[in-house]
Amino acid sequence: MGRPAVALRAVGKRYRRAAGGYRLRTLKSALLERSLTSGLAASDTVEALADISFEVAAGEAVGIIGGNGSGKSTLIKLVAGLLRPSAGELTVNGRVAALIELGAGFHPEISGRENVFINGALLGLSRRQIEDRYDDIVEFAGLGDFIEEPIKNYSSGMYVRLGFSVAIHTDPEILLVDEVLAVGDEEFVHRCIARIDEHLSQGGTLLVVSHSMGLIDELCDRAVWLDQGRLRAIGSTRRVIDAYFEAVAAREGEAHERRRALAAEGGESQTGAEETAPEEEEILRWGSGQARIVAARLVAGAAREERYHLHCGEAAAFELEVEPREELDDFVFGVGVKTPRGVDCWGTNTDLAGYEPRRLSGPVRVRLACPELRLAPGEYTVDLAVHARDGRAYDYRRRALRFTVAESSALRSIGLYLPDHEWHVEALGGGAGDGAADRQAAIDWRSPDHSESAPPRSGGAPSDSRRME
Amino acid sequence: MMEVARCLVRCRGLLWTLVQRELRARYRGSVLGFFWSLLNPLLLLAVYSFVFGTILKRGDLVDVEPYGVFLVTGLFPWIWFSTSLLEGCSSLTGNSGLIRKAVFPVEVLPAVAVASNLMHFLLALPIVAVALVAGRLLGYPIGGWTCVLLPLVLVVETVMIAGLAFGLSALGVHFKDVRDLLGNVLLLLFFLAPIIYTLGDIPPELARLVQLNPMTSFTVAIQDLLFHGRLPAPQVWLTMTAIAAASWAAGAGLFSRLSDTLAEAV
Repeated sequence: MGRPAVALRAVGKRYRRAAGGYRLRTLKSALLERSLTSGLAASDTVEALADISFEVAAGEAVGIIGGNGSGKSTLIKLVAGLLRPSAGELTVNGRVAALIELGAGFHPEISGRENVFINGALLGLSRRQIEDRYDDIVEFAGLGDFIEEPIKNYSSGMYVRLGFSVAIHTDPEILLVDEVLAVGDEEFVHRCIARIDEHLSQGGTLLVVSHSMGLIDELCDRAVWLDQGRLRAIGSTRRVIDAYFEAVAAREGEAHERRRALAAEGGESQTGAEETAPEEEEILRWGSGQARIVAARLVAGAAREERYHLHCGEAAAFELEVEPREELDDFVFGVGVKTPRGVDCWGTNTDLAGYEPRRLSGPVRVRLACPELRLAPGEYTVDLAVHARDGRAYDYRRRALRFTVAESSALRSIGLYLPDHEWHVEALGGGAGDGAADRQAAIDWRSPDHSESAPPRSGGAPSDSRRME
Repeated sequence: MMEVARCLVRCRGLLWTLVQRELRARYRGSVLGFFWSLLNPLLLLAVYSFVFGTILKRGDLVDVEPYGVFLVTGLFPWIWFSTSLLEGCSSLTGNSGLIRKAVFPVEVLPAVAVASNLMHFLLALPIVAVALVAGRLLGYPIGGWTCVLLPLVLVVETVMIAGLAFGLSALGVHFKDVRDLLGNVLLLLFFLAPIIYTLGDIPPELARLVQLNPMTSFTVAIQDLLFHGRLPAPQVWLTMTAIAAASWAAGAGLFSRLSDTLAEAV
């Protein structure tokens, strides 16, 4: 394999804060030390990346994932040579094409044809090279006659397509892609991915930033997860993506918990002064008050810990503490799970379950336990209620709880419900022949864990290792 | 400084492509199109000769005939100088999108500003030629074989303008104020150059002040070659060369010191 295509050793990048007042100092440090930030105090700078070390082998495809502001684009720009690291060492071996903003340098007043030549020249092609590739470029962009029109008359999709086409035809050894595929239509995206695949199969190297985990999973051998400018994880794509999803869900879970704690505080202080309750609160909570839900929480996992991010299929229980103001002989406890947009996913109550109320005279804790909560990855809200059997609410709390079911590359699906499932395929006899060899050829595919298996062993799940817990 | 020069030589293809883009795009969509690059200086010339030749002219103040032809030989190089600096100064800040997003030698941007304005100047030279021939036909003793030496002055002047444009473009990234300041400085320099008058028309102590203007020696040299039909004095050549060398050293030097941080600062 030889030298790595890209090698980073303890690379860091600081930006200066945009606030003025340091113009002279930044100029001085730019002049003396070729850095904008070395003359500034740490509080005047922002650390976009810190201590990033990894290597990308020639021919490897690496995806960079992370939330907004995690330093992904900075990293791509450093590798592209648009920025210089403020710490550490960065080596790049090979000709780089950076698809960062497509069509940068297009001039709106002149035709697409002329712009191809200008953009190609900007990207380092000679006039001869552009002439040789011109037809391919135009065909790939799919612009037809429009190529003779001034660029200002192009749709944004045409603009991006032409930009991508020029950039991809510069024969890069290292291709850097920063979220540019998000703009084109489906067909063009497929063409781009096919082209990137071609680049990879010819031994090219790829570094791609995307929020589309599907794309990263499809293209990349390895993934790098950046979190607030630091390298959080690096490794096989699926493992890193799952770890990322897990962390996102955990963070969302914490946010749900904080919000819940805040709401609980507000709720308690309100019990004394119900008249002053703001209107919004009334929409989220109503009822006669003959009984009140004074606490609610979600507990999850075998350890029954309070948690607001779950995995699909995990054990979970909704707990509510209810205090009656007076003795009640008609009461129902209910739980409803909805999506944030209000679609009912699942709901039940003690009346539906067949419990017959007799007497409620003191505080109780009610638990609705699900050994396996099979909700598909996503966000959910929970409505909780205590009401009479005819539906009259004593205390109805809309969106009393929120939780997130973590995404995972192994659990991609559509919809809200995710039952345990497996794919099985077996070849049927008949067709072109009935010999064993012909059955062998009836299907050929690659299982999601990338082990070649054709045809599948009967009863063998595509990937036992990644079945849900 | 040499890095900048080497880079420009290496990417001359790109430079030329961008200059063409500049020239093509400028008049795209206007009725007269390319003729504006002739018309613009002509109209400006008309304004200046009206103001300085008719309104302000005192017979004893400016002693040069024909005044319009004299004006044209000084004014056109000045337009090249001032527009190059103004465009050069904002060439980086104006293309910040490009600099941040595309990997290419940034050096070409100020160079394009200078080169495309040089092209405009060259394209307007026929006007100067027509004016000179017309003046001669009217019997004025102007022009001569010395005009063949014009390219020599232009080469030196290009180096001078490019040096300033490089320096100003890099400074303009750090201080947006440069551009506003530049407009006013250029106005002052215009009146402090022997374009609307000759050095002989003004008192000697003022002439010394005018000599400090970097454009003075270039203006005088071009007027000598084209209008007066005589060779510029040796010290004019020396001054021009020295100014060009100093300007390039300072401007390109500043640019290359700052080039690493430009993409971030712009």
